[in-house]
Amino acid sequence: MKRRHFIQTAGAAALGAPLITAPMIPSARAQTATVRWWYHFDNPQNTPNELIAQFEKDNPGIKIQAESIPWGGGGDYYTRLFAAIVAKNAPDCAMVKLSSQAQLLEMDALEPIDGLIKNWAGKADISDNIWNVNKAQDGKQYYMPLQYVVLYLYYRADWLQAAGLQPPKTYEEFLAAAKAMTRGDVSGFGMRGGGGGHDNWAPFVVGNGATFAKGGMVSEQALAGNRFYVSLARDHKVTPASAASDGFRQIVDGFKAERTGMIIHHIGSANELVTALGDKVSAVPVPRPANGKGWTMFGDESNALLSGSKNKDAAFKWISFLSSGANNVAFNKLTGQLPVTTSGATSWTLHPKRFVDASAASLPLAGVLPDSPKTADFARTVWPTSMQRALLGQVTPDDMMKTIEAHYNG
Amino acid sequence: MTAASDTAPAPRLVLTPYLFLLPAMLVTLAVVLWPVAETVWMSLHNFILFKPRNVPFIGLGNFWRLLHDEVFWLSLGHSLVWISLVVGLQFLLGLVTALLLNQTFWWRSLARSLVIIPWALPSVIIGLTWTWMYDFNVGVLNDVLIRFGLIDKPVAWLAQPDSAFISIVVALIWQGFPFFAVTILAGLQTISAELYEAADMDGATRFQRLRFITLPAIADVIATALLLRTIWVANSLDVILVMTGGGPGYSTYTLPLYAFLKAYSGMEFGYGSALAIMLTLLLLLVVFIYVRRAARELDQ
Amino acid sequence: MRDSRSPLQRLFELHLPLLLIVLFALGPYVWMMMTSIKTNADIGAWPVRYWPDVFTTEHYHALLERTSFGGNLLNSLIIATGACLLGLGVSLPAAYAFSRYRFRGRRLLMTQFLVINMFPIVLIIIPLFVLMRNIGLLDTFIGIILGHSTFAVPFSIWMLTSYINAIPKDLDEAARIDGATTLEVLRLIILPVVMPGLVTTGIYIFVTSWNEYLFAMMLSGQNVRTVTVALQLFIGEFSVQWGLLTAAGTLIALPVTLLFLLVQKRLVSGLTSGAVKS
Repeated sequence: MKRRHFIQTAGAAALGAPLITAPMIPSARAQTATVRWWYHFDNPQNTPNELIAQFEKDNPGIKIQAESIPWGGGGDYYTRLFAAIVAKNAPDCAMVKLSSQAQLLEMDALEPIDGLIKNWAGKADISDNIWNVNKAQDGKQYYMPLQYVVLYLYYRADWLQAAGLQPPKTYEEFLAAAKAMTRGDVSGFGMRGGGGGHDNWAPFVVGNGATFAKGGMVSEQALAGNRFYVSLARDHKVTPASAASDGFRQIVDGFKAERTGMIIHHIGSANELVTALGDKVSAVPVPRPANGKGWTMFGDESNALLSGSKNKDAAFKWISFLSSGANNVAFNKLTGQLPVTTSGATSWTLHPKRFVDASAASLPLAGVLPDSPKTADFARTVWPTSMQRALLGQVTPDDMMKTIEAHYNG
Repeated sequence: MTAASDTAPAPRLVLTPYLFLLPAMLVTLAVVLWPVAETVWMSLHNFILFKPRNVPFIGLGNFWRLLHDEVFWLSLGHSLVWISLVVGLQFLLGLVTALLLNQTFWWRSLARSLVIIPWALPSVIIGLTWTWMYDFNVGVLNDVLIRFGLIDKPVAWLAQPDSAFISIVVALIWQGFPFFAVTILAGLQTISAELYEAADMDGATRFQRLRFITLPAIADVIATALLLRTIWVANSLDVILVMTGGGPGYSTYTLPLYAFLKAYSGMEFGYGSALAIMLTLLLLLVVFIYVRRAARELDQ
Repeated sequence: MRDSRSPLQRLFELHLPLLLIVLFALGPYVWMMMTSIKTNADIGAWPVRYWPDVFTTEHYHALLERTSFGGNLLNSLIIATGACLLGLGVSLPAAYAFSRYRFRGRRLLMTQFLVINMFPIVLIIIPLFVLMRNIGLLDTFIGIILGHSTFAVPFSIWMLTSYINAIPKDLDEAARIDGATTLEVLRLIILPVVMPGLVTTGIYIFVTSWNEYLFAMMLSGQNVRTVTVALQLFIGEFSVQWGLLTAAGTLIALPVTLLFLLVQKRLVSGLTSGAVKS
């Protein structure tokens, strides 16, 4: 029995007719269309009200009802979105990430926007790289890019200088730098082994040639890359004792407290680090193999149009508004990420230039996790658990890779 | 089975207990019955949330899978240790606190109110605050211990399997002991002063008073509080989720957490539901034993 | 109860242990409170800054003026009070029935109430959401109050039953001999004597509802957001707003503590105050 059918009939049977009945009046375009939009901002003191006011002024027939949904580590936001979709109570559009695209598609929740963006003026202002990264497996475009970050390497410029080293480019140089900076209770590399830390691990493993396709996690290069990564903690001991459970908060705090010399993160923490360390902190793209392109995570966020929406055109106007020119810049001032528009990127002043440059330099290596329904679970549970076990010595690094291979490819 | 000392008078009142029960039943069953039924339904199917079109019936397939799942057994083991430690230690601390608070002294009202505070905080705050206190780099616990010379290097409390488990247990004891303190205190208050006076006249020591008057009088309250708390702790997962998410590795996985992660991270609602039902059945066993034993006493 | 111990004995057997316990209970809370009045710079400082140079109330200002926190506190208060009243109103008669009557299905019904609570809420939260949507109770006070009562009532019934069990049945009998109806017995005899238990149970329901997260998260929207859900707004993807979070945490504990302070008197037993000899 189809699940949605079950819910509807069971719900109806158990409680009598639902109170909400379908409107009998055909939709009259002369009335105001209300667009419900779900969003989440890191800083709850920021609101999108100015942008909304501007939009409503330019589009008199449309009202935006913005709902701020608690992020709750990501789990809560998506639980509510999925539940709302299942209960046919979903918003018209919402902020979403690529890691959920496959799952949302399986639920038939997304509306393709290819047709709508074809005639959209702002299309050219977003680079092809970014459009392609956001395309779905079936070749259609469902996501409207909104903002992005790229993972790069923060390092203590003063410590490297004192050790007579250049900012690392290859894995070997990275290890040398980490060793040079490790002394006493200071660790060279603040490894992120807790949830979300796959973005630290991927440059060393996917960057070394691992892929998520069948056999891609147990190939020679994949295993070698992972062994190297685990050895940073277990053999070379250039990571802090807390690495296995550290999340983004811990690695940033550790770096600020001058207990680590390098961390892998993105521009979202740049201002915080500069406030604490000033010119002592700088950034370069993540380490790469000696003869390879390397790989780093592209941290995405987009708006999507939901298929259940009754105001698709109005909703599209809103999401395209947010992704164009000055609006996109204003939006990113609220979220602290980088604008997706090329015009916005060149005039960006919210973060110190060296970090914007590092992000731009990292774009050619940037990629995302595979567009598979298994990715969300990988990021949230499968990777942290196996990484921690490997770091603690409970399983071998190779076993860890086998677990990941089994998760994606059975 | 009615005893001779049954206080309810003649049959004309036979409806009364049911009438008294009706509001409670309406409020609880009406809201919970259908979702629970749906969960049972989900556990018998291979139901993955993002594959709503393909939901085959697999009977007891999920339950079979769980019996062969090493993480299930690991989580179950952890749950058992977890419940014993947390409920046991919360109870002991709460009992001592209640006995102390039951006495008369000038700052009694203040003490009683302050002790409530851990219980008054939402789990997410408790989880975050304690995680921060345990922090390797900037945590206050490491700092204090180093200053007092008890350790010479910071300890990564939440990154080692054993210390992570104990660390969370401590946070939970902190959170839950006020419940026992308050509940037992209320029970202590219902003990008639005359009983103590009679004991005093017989020359009983304080310890004898405790053992022969106090504890027996509140035995029922204690037993109920323990039962309720066991059920609550067995099902709780918010603090663990916030503090370690089950890690490092599987070392702080408990059964409800495992069910939660399977359902909300892996989107495997069928299997997650089966895990939850397993937990419920196990708790049911515990409750059955308690109710049968208690019922024998209650029927006297 | 006269205490025959010497002041020194009292110091070591009463005041000191209790002080230690109170310090344990307060410690993390005070730490949180101290954090909420530090500037952002001091919050993440290392070595740990116990006593900041500068105290600030900026986080509280930001919290109350620039977020919806004040309104959320009120929502939580309304919901917790509602759940308390509904819960007690429904549990007391039920507990009385379980304690004073022997009837068919008694044990089964008592157990059934517990079984409801044995189900981890997390698993039934999505079907529950769909249910609430179908009855139109999403994002309403009643919806959440109903939800909270549902999970608080079984525990309350059990707790109240045990408190009522502790009251000798002779009291009931004596009153009946004097011609009281069942309702009068309940109101005039049981109620005063079980007051400490009632207050405790009420507090339990209030606190459970106050701290409840899952239900409130799923069933509330913009209109009826509780504090626990609002807290999650401070925990973002890239940053945790420690100042706001600790300020919020400090404020959140206050209503419950104040409530407890207020109802303290009621915790004194009705038995000792002579309710028996009426």
